[in-house]
Amino acid sequence: MAFDFSTDFDPENPDLTDNTEIQNEIFLQAFNSGDGALFNRLYLEDSISNFSGEPLTGAARLAFFKEFLAPKPSLKAEVTHAYVAGDVALIGVKYSIDTTGENGEPVHLEGVCTDVLRRGEDGRWLMSIDRPVAATGLVAE
Amino acid sequence: MSQLLENLEKHTAQYVEAFNAGDFETLDAFYTEEAVAVWEPGEPLTGQARRDYQREFLARRPKISTTTRQSFVTGDTALLIVDWVIDTVDDQGAPERLTGTGVDVLRLGEDGIWRYAVDDPYGQD
Repeated sequence: MAFDFSTDFDPENPDLTDNTEIQNEIFLQAFNSGDGALFNRLYLEDSISNFSGEPLTGAARLAFFKEFLAPKPSLKAEVTHAYVAGDVALIGVKYSIDTTGENGEPVHLEGVCTDVLRRGEDGRWLMSIDRPVAATGLVAE
Repeated sequence: MSQLLENLEKHTAQYVEAFNAGDFETLDAFYTEEAVAVWEPGEPLTGQARRDYQREFLARRPKISTTTRQSFVTGDTALLIVDWVIDTVDDQGAPERLTGTGVDVLRLGEDGIWRYAVDDPYGQD
């Protein structure tokens, strides 16, 4: 993979950690890699992603990530709040995404997203639930 | 899944009942040991500070009503988006109505009881 990760993480076995800045950095890098399968590994099998506008898990979520990341959308995100309660965390971020529409037109999306992260039995922190609320446009219609 | 959602609804109903009865001990049992509550925006409270704040808040005998707008359940973790209204009194004893949309993270205990891990009442505002 020709992608330069500036924060070291294992793309095969990622750990978002309980550090808010590292979480955000790894999330951005995985998203901006354009690799839907890699990005999907930030989630557990039964984790729920609402990026598509519908709650998706498992294979449906992976298929959506692959499709959504294929045009290599560019994500910027800034953490607004983070609360860690034992092995679960609630994170709030402000995000903007620049991507390409079906007809090659530029599409700009922005909004806020609530993320729930869990620490698994192997000690790795991964996405459990994401819930973006778009202020302009929808992440996907 | 539907069983879990049913349990979650039961959790919310029992929480509301304890809240409106001013029953701090019962209410406190609906929080995990490490729970974070953010009743004042930007000021997360845990442990004894969280308990002290809530005990004092309940002493004014506030009444709450809630409407769950969205719920997501995965395994033993849930995210709820909840509209709420609380009728209470201010420091001078005058009636005061508080409203918000909360973002709550709950965990399912081994005893089958859902508990708040993060209680962020103004999380969606």
